[in-house]
Amino acid sequence: MKRITIDPITRLEGHGKIEIFLNEEGEVANAYLQIPELRGFEQFCIGRPAEEMPRITNRICGVCPEAHHMAATKALDALFHVEPPSVTKKLRELFYSAFYVTDHTVHFYALGGPDFILGPDSPAAERNILGVIHKVGVEIGKKVINTRKRNHHVIQMLGGRGIHPVAGLPGGWSKAMTKEERDEIEGYAKENVEFALFSLQLFEDIVLANKTYVDLILSDAFTHKTYYMGTVDKNNQVNFYDGMIRVVGPDGKEFVKYHPEDYAKHIAEHVEPWSYLKFPYLKDIGWKGFVDGKDSGVYCATPLSRLNASDGMATPKAQEFYEKFYETLGSKKINGRYQPVHYRLATHWARLIELLYAAERMLELVQDPEITDPNVRAPITEKPDEGIGGVEAPRGTLTHHYATDENGILTKVNLIVGTTNNYAPISMSIKKAAQGLIKKGTIISDGLLNMIEMAFRNYDPCMSCATHSLPGQMPLEVVIRNVDGNEIERLSQFIN
Amino acid sequence: MKTLVIGLGNPILTDDGVGVKVAYQIQEDLCSVPHPDIDITEASVGGLHLMETMIGYDQVFIIDAIILEHQPQPGKVQRMAIDDLRNLSPTQHSASAHDTTLVTALDMAKRIGLSIPTKIVIYAIEVENVLEFSETTTSEVSKSIPFVAQKIIDELAIDYNLSIS
Repeated sequence: MKRITIDPITRLEGHGKIEIFLNEEGEVANAYLQIPELRGFEQFCIGRPAEEMPRITNRICGVCPEAHHMAATKALDALFHVEPPSVTKKLRELFYSAFYVTDHTVHFYALGGPDFILGPDSPAAERNILGVIHKVGVEIGKKVINTRKRNHHVIQMLGGRGIHPVAGLPGGWSKAMTKEERDEIEGYAKENVEFALFSLQLFEDIVLANKTYVDLILSDAFTHKTYYMGTVDKNNQVNFYDGMIRVVGPDGKEFVKYHPEDYAKHIAEHVEPWSYLKFPYLKDIGWKGFVDGKDSGVYCATPLSRLNASDGMATPKAQEFYEKFYETLGSKKINGRYQPVHYRLATHWARLIELLYAAERMLELVQDPEITDPNVRAPITEKPDEGIGGVEAPRGTLTHHYATDENGILTKVNLIVGTTNNYAPISMSIKKAAQGLIKKGTIISDGLLNMIEMAFRNYDPCMSCATHSLPGQMPLEVVIRNVDGNEIERLSQFIN
Repeated sequence: MKTLVIGLGNPILTDDGVGVKVAYQIQEDLCSVPHPDIDITEASVGGLHLMETMIGYDQVFIIDAIILEHQPQPGKVQRMAIDDLRNLSPTQHSASAHDTTLVTALDMAKRIGLSIPTKIVIYAIEVENVLEFSETTTSEVSKSIPFVAQKIIDELAIDYNLSIS
């Protein structure tokens, strides 16, 4: 294969970019996802009081500040050796569940869903949430906006601020929930459950009832057999807020289960010359390249991975859909566990099952008699030294690791964000889709490029998180180059 | 009439948060002047979330960073209308890579009958460095902060009685 060198200047345009290189026969030789590097995050943090981290790291991302706020707060619990009261854990998880409802909702209706609701080869200008409203009706737009509105309100009530929450403290949460707030949130949680069920029905009606889409989901171009990572509770059921990290193999067998603080024992990072961002992999398997299979240390951490890594969902309705998901997609049960589903486009369905779980969990928590207990802080008595906190961010397992001096001044900061976990599988998915779709003499259409983007989009990578910056500023471009490196096609993610 | 002034960006990413700094400046300049119908805020959101923050306002001033690839002039200020985002170039934060563009989000809002502002003005400040973490903007970009703050206060003064000491 011809060796490709990429001009480093192209990396610095401030865009997430998929570059596809064709060989002399006009077939795909290689494909890369490039993410611009941001510099100096650790340096920026060192020398500051650790308690600032929940408010600094939630500036990393405008899409999931709640996830960073939560991972940072949990890292502070560990750093100060303080166990939060039981009500505090419940308040945090409740807040976090409301965030999951908004995040998964917007992904399906604005980003992932339009490919199915409007069709993968529909014009790019229509393949967005406005197109969904045109196709399905105004009511759906109202449902989406109302779902976001009520959950943003909950986030503001509990988190102290609408966009960048401030309530997380080491061993605590800055405010208790009033009985009035509880009653209000209970109503919202019930509406969320209804909305999640509606969304799953819509998925069945539009995607699963359409043979073309089912064939697309089951197609080899969108399939990878890798390891899967997710946080599980004591029953090995999916949990977003707390638990052990479980990794299962492509055959579904548990490979390892570890406490988030042991991440460095299990995860290493591979470096490639064409990317600033590193590729995490399972240390005990080793890096064998961008390849599938049991012998490759590549793992994936997404909604699909979380379902694959667990034994089920901890809430009743979500569990019903979990079973339906595996049965419908042909997974067999071995020793009481479903075999993993490897179809990457099924991630969209998995995300909606997680939406339902988040809604049901929110309802369970708000109905817990303890939730209005005013004792939301535990006293800090120990000196700080080192702490690691982990949560499941919507886009994958998120780990914050801080070390401080005895005054709590930061000396070390390391973050492994959701998207970074998935950098290798995303790169593999893009290449495989490109190779499956672009053959010698293929006319490269907008629809075809969108199918390649679909391989990328199901992960919903947060390039801003991966590089510790903000979203929105890095629209995605797909660039196709011929054997001489000349650009022959370019597609931007957003066409107004 | 309700007005929202919103500075966009990441205030810890060098020039990226210049819009936020302009919003802080306006807040400071107007701190001794009653302005009950003007809300001044900052956010690091685009697309749907940005549209949602505008609901219920009659007019909105957005301040954001912009990067132009040809003949860049850090610190240069452009006053844009929403159609400029549609036709020319999006600013750094108007779109969200996770949902949609501001223009599409506003079109959606109209379609489902949300009360969105009739007037949206965007002050786009050309920036230089959005790749390094720092709380300080670069020098040319820093000079634009009081300039843009004053421009917006002048525009606000057309609709409101703002006697600034």
